Amino acid sequence: MRKLVLNLRLFIDGALLSYIALFRWLQPHTYLASKVVMPLAQILFFTLMGIFASGPGNAAFYAIGNAIHLASINGIYGVTMSIGGDRWSGALPYIFGTPANRLVLFSGRAFFHVLDGMLGVIMGLAWGVLLFGLDLSQADLGALALTILITTFSTSGLGLLLGCVSLVSIETMFVNNTFYFLLLAFSGANIPLTEMPGWMQSVGWALPLTRGIAASRQLIAGSTLAEVAPLLAGEFLLGGLYILLGYSLFRWFEFQAKRRGTLEAF
Amino acid sequence: MDAVEVRSLRRVYRTTIGVLRRKAKEVVAVDDISFSLRPGELFGLLGPNGAGKTTTVKMLTTLLIPTGGTALILGKDVVHQADEIRARIGFIFGGERGLYWRLSGIDNLRYFASLYHVEPAVARKRIASLLELVGLADRGKEKVEGYSRGMMQRLHIARTLLHDPEVLFLDEPTIGLDPVGARELRQVIRDLQAEKKTILLTTHYMFEADALCQRVAVINKGKIVALDTPEALKSNVADLAVVEMEVFGVPQDVLERVRSLPFVDTVSLENVDQRQSLRVQTRRGSEAVPDLVGVLSGLRVGRVIVREPTLEDAYVRLVGGEA
Amino acid sequence: MKPGLWRQHLRAGLAAFEVTLRINAPDSFVLFTIVVQPLIIAIMAMWMLVERGAANALYVVVGSGMTGLWSTLLFLGGNSINWERWTGTLELMVGQPTPVAVIVFGKNAAVVFQSLLSMVASYTVAAILFRQPLSVEQPLLFAVSLLLTMVAFVSFGLVIAPLFLLSPAVQHFQNAIEFPIYMLGGFLFPIALLPGWTTPFSYLLAPFWAARALHGASTGGASLEELAFDWGMMLLLGAIYLLISGRLIERMLRKARSEATLRLE
Repeated sequence: MRKLVLNLRLFIDGALLSYIALFRWLQPHTYLASKVVMPLAQILFFTLMGIFASGPGNAAFYAIGNAIHLASINGIYGVTMSIGGDRWSGALPYIFGTPANRLVLFSGRAFFHVLDGMLGVIMGLAWGVLLFGLDLSQADLGALALTILITTFSTSGLGLLLGCVSLVSIETMFVNNTFYFLLLAFSGANIPLTEMPGWMQSVGWALPLTRGIAASRQLIAGSTLAEVAPLLAGEFLLGGLYILLGYSLFRWFEFQAKRRGTLEAF
Repeated sequence: MDAVEVRSLRRVYRTTIGVLRRKAKEVVAVDDISFSLRPGELFGLLGPNGAGKTTTVKMLTTLLIPTGGTALILGKDVVHQADEIRARIGFIFGGERGLYWRLSGIDNLRYFASLYHVEPAVARKRIASLLELVGLADRGKEKVEGYSRGMMQRLHIARTLLHDPEVLFLDEPTIGLDPVGARELRQVIRDLQAEKKTILLTTHYMFEADALCQRVAVINKGKIVALDTPEALKSNVADLAVVEMEVFGVPQDVLERVRSLPFVDTVSLENVDQRQSLRVQTRRGSEAVPDLVGVLSGLRVGRVIVREPTLEDAYVRLVGGEA
Repeated sequence: MKPGLWRQHLRAGLAAFEVTLRINAPDSFVLFTIVVQPLIIAIMAMWMLVERGAANALYVVVGSGMTGLWSTLLFLGGNSINWERWTGTLELMVGQPTPVAVIVFGKNAAVVFQSLLSMVASYTVAAILFRQPLSVEQPLLFAVSLLLTMVAFVSFGLVIAPLFLLSPAVQHFQNAIEFPIYMLGGFLFPIALLPGWTTPFSYLLAPFWAARALHGASTGGASLEELAFDWGMMLLLGAIYLLISGRLIERMLRKARSEATLRLE
């Protein structure tokens, strides 16, 4: 029981600190720019391009895809910064050294980013409704919320994996930016997977977001939770797989660092 | 015409404390200082860290706008005629910043040479001789990111001499250099002065000011507390002798008792390794020793020296140092 | 200005150009902004537009090249002065006799020149990966449009570089304005798709006229009169930017000297 309380406290502390540290300089105008204008601009750009391509009737396709994709802002940038932030502040050696349950630590960090990510997606869908007449009346909103939660969770999983890579490489932003755009292109957000060659489709299905976007489109078109359950299960499992990979990598780095005495290099 | 003329120069910083309820706080970094440099003079600005030396130099080099007062370099105003000044002065703030790390030492110098309008043919020759002068001739082609701190400092010195400026501002130039390098640099500074360049040097090393400067201004907490030749400053304390006693732990109350002795001028305590050096400035010189030892009775006292005051002692007296 | 001084400023500007090219070459952020992002956008646009017949491959190449050009100008050119502050060289830049405007001009010219690579990269992808026909209808007019585009962008950069000194939160603003200009500039879809009230804003932007000229000359859809009008607008806006930039840079730097923000503490 005591261990549970301890872990819970660790989880909350880690989450809170990580989030506050990242956004401590946050002021209304920067929040507005980053969390409102930028995502809106992105949705507008690709949806309008989609409308130019195939007419206003298909706006929903693009609006949904790009709104769900917003989960990767927090999932990738937010989470990798949380991890990478340890490195820059030199706190990493201390974290490696504590007996804290590292998975709890990890999850704590990602937690607030999942919440913030959901908020971003919901705002994105709201823009879809306001600007492109996205019709949510057929959708099971609870199922949609669940889909969004699972999708931000799995994107955060990718973020954790990328975050570990950032521990040993200085090209963090390059990796983050590239994956952000690769997700835009290959998760089905803007291009139906069926239009891509076979091998590219496989790449798409191996990425987070893909199943989440597919499920969201189906739900908004009127499907039931049961019908999209396989997709959701797949997305959730994929997220778990990324987290496992990220955690293993983290432990491996830690082992290597301790073995070679290069902890300070972190 | 004076090379540098400073009149009632003042710089105030406004900062805000607190995150939610912001309160404005004013810090006076430079408080109405005035001094002048004759052409060809080697002038020292001496003071502890945070005294206002760097802030003063930044105002004189047109990088910071004064809050009050005026400064003229070669007759031109630092605020309104900054462009005309910039071509004729050189400055070093040192440290690792101020160089392009991805470029080599030579490329850095070539870039600055073109910014300072040095003709390419002249620049080529000067760069070679300057690299030779600062001892970087064989490392010139390496990228600056691989340089040690001392090497970067030396490259800064080469940079500042590229355009053969008339007035030089050197802000703590020997910091980061090893003793040999520092000594070499001091010789370079003397050579530059021999070439009739006007030099303003800031330092917190007393011996450096003593060794190099023709006149020294002692600055503390933004104010100039003394301005004179090193000899004159030393003569201020000439009537004082310094009794230096090796002690091994002096409690505060004993220290106060020493301080309160009528013949004692200043008291400072310095820790070197395990030992402490108690320095007492007193007019009585060696006559004071028995009384001092008496006050310290019970405490172990090692070597006792009575010596002439140095510029450092004058400085300690001026900045009211009690350590 | 004395002729000798002109020559010295030119030399200084060229030195800034060369140094910037050298420093940017191995930089991964530069690589991403100039090549990776426009390339992914090109690939997406190929699928979204060309496969559906809404536009041809050349339109996508030019359009995605323009997105690369704008992002480069925004993040690399716009941060010309900020970058010096971040690397600790701004004090030296301000304290030397060459006007900072000359240095910023040289730096912007370098990044705009580098960003032409965006167009080359998109062109290559379109030709090789998608095997699309890519012949420019009016090559000479296209070349002139491209030249004027570079001039207009470089001078626009001279205006945004000092403006970006105003706030430490500038990067957020840069992120926010990146995609809107893609839209207002009509890079990858006509501005007719945007609400009417945004059109005046488009007209004020040099990138809009540049995109119009480049799209028109590459697809042959524009008449010489239309192109000449686009060129005229680019020249006019470029001249205005140049005129105000000198004063603007001076004022912003004076502000920094007054508030002691030339150096990051």
